[in-house]
Amino acid sequence: MIVGSARERRLWNVATYAIAGFFGLTALGPIVWLVLTSLKTEADIVTAQGVVYWPSTLTLANYRELWDQTDFPTLFRNSLSATTLTVVICLVVGTLAAYALSREAFRGRQPLLMGLLAIRMFPAVMQIIPLFIIMKAIGLLDTKLGLALAYASFLLPMFIWLMKGFFDDLPGELEEAARIDGCSRLGAMWRIALPVARNGILATTVLIAISAWNEFLFALMLTTGADTRTWPVGLQLMIGDFQLPWGLLAAGGVISIIPVVVLFAFVQGSMVRGLTEGATKG
Amino acid sequence: MSAFQDSSQGQGMPRLALIADRYNPFYILGHWSDGRFWVVALLAPAVILLALIVLYPLFYGLSLSVHEMRLTRPDLGTGFVGPKHFVAMLSDDVFWLAVRNTFLWVGIACVLEVGLGMISALALNRALPGLKVIAVLVLLPWFLPKVVAGNMWALMLDPRLGVLNDILVHLGILAQYKAWFSDPATAFGTAVVIEAWCGFPFFTLLFMAGLKGIPNELYEAASIDGATPMQRFRFVTLPMLRNVMLVAVILRVISLVNSPDLLLILTQGGPGHSTLVLSLYAFETAYRGFDFGYGSALAVVMLGILMLFTFLYVRASSVGRQA
Repeated sequence: MIVGSARERRLWNVATYAIAGFFGLTALGPIVWLVLTSLKTEADIVTAQGVVYWPSTLTLANYRELWDQTDFPTLFRNSLSATTLTVVICLVVGTLAAYALSREAFRGRQPLLMGLLAIRMFPAVMQIIPLFIIMKAIGLLDTKLGLALAYASFLLPMFIWLMKGFFDDLPGELEEAARIDGCSRLGAMWRIALPVARNGILATTVLIAISAWNEFLFALMLTTGADTRTWPVGLQLMIGDFQLPWGLLAAGGVISIIPVVVLFAFVQGSMVRGLTEGATKG
Repeated sequence: MSAFQDSSQGQGMPRLALIADRYNPFYILGHWSDGRFWVVALLAPAVILLALIVLYPLFYGLSLSVHEMRLTRPDLGTGFVGPKHFVAMLSDDVFWLAVRNTFLWVGIACVLEVGLGMISALALNRALPGLKVIAVLVLLPWFLPKVVAGNMWALMLDPRLGVLNDILVHLGILAQYKAWFSDPATAFGTAVVIEAWCGFPFFTLLFMAGLKGIPNELYEAASIDGATPMQRFRFVTLPMLRNVMLVAVILRVISLVNSPDLLLILTQGGPGHSTLVLSLYAFETAYRGFDFGYGSALAVVMLGILMLFTFLYVRASSVGRQA
């Protein structure tokens, strides 16, 4: 994009690095501060005068205390099972539907695709209230399965839509060749299409998993007991009810975002492609 | 490997394999998949599940908005009340304040995010060493849980211990530490900036993808015609990004209108309703007030606003394109 004299180009390059540096700092700065806070002693956080930038002693005491003396391990496990259930539901049900929407021509395909997009528009509260009443009536309220089903109400449409995009990118010829060689339709999907699409499946799954892991609003309304409460709700309630010290709060934040960061780093390439493709194709 | 295959395909083996296949569930399923119900079978689980967890609750919610349902007042019953809740909204000052705040909240956040997203994407899209890594790191705020992002900022802005307060005082911008969220004059602005911090990477992501799709020849041609960098941006980049911008803005506005998460964590709508938006008002009405009828009616209004917005915005954009 930049053309011009060598001097002009150098100026643009300096400006580019300045802007990139600013954004890098803005994005990472707060997270770095959170990590630093989690490693500080109480005396370095709550100071009489001024802010202590670099901790006088680095300590894991906050992590130990959070893990040993609060409900956090239970919250963490609850989130893990709710997320796993959500992922299993979306993966099994969603992959099949996405495959059909990508590969087969049938009546009602277009309305179905549009309907999946329109679901995004429904306000969360509009789903939460009826789900609360329905789940209370059939005993799913305050269960991990109930929460996973509630998550699937907005994550499954997203999963199908993204996964369809990944299937669309794969050439159908491979499956046609398999069919000519005597493979059944199920065989062509199971042995050819799914293995070839595994990067897309992985990226979409990770995105769903992160969203379910982070979710706050549905979990706040649909869980009440300590046995089902997820970590975002538990952490927020600890802050409100028990005036959780900043050090513990920071440690909880860091522990909870580690899975997110690791998963994101793992598949960010394919995930970015899947997320942007729909919008850039127009 | 090949020896193994050879032996399994030796004399007499195919027939045996065929008989075995007939009782293999995968063979049966595979045979059946060539029949008429293949597509139905693939779609049925998703369609049935979505009907149960999306469509049924949706219609239930719509019907709740014209019914009475207050869990704290069972004496009122759950009868049909017609447009009562919608009429009540007209004279509900908090509702109108929330509507105003919603428009400000979504508008300001969106403008900030599009601006930040555009500047960062233009910079990070250049082929210079090191930028790829930053382009990935910049996405992190978007994947951060709102509970962590919100409390992290609350910690940095804390009126006694906040590091941002300290930095601003040292820079001479502030005279003393400020309680950002207790002052109605600053609570809203501060929360919007934090929301924009969480959301701008979404635009960075989409704009970068859009920029990659612009052929270099366009810029070269513009340069030969003597276009300045500003003109190249105005007449090449912006028009080429129109589609991406359309999709990105719609998706982001929908999620900004619908999710009260950050405000619920940071301010709970306070001080004095100054940060109360519609989604938060609806959620609090249901979660704290247990007034499911009025809460659903508020959600229906939100849905109406969003549908109107999407319709008008898409139409305005396609009219602009034809001109």
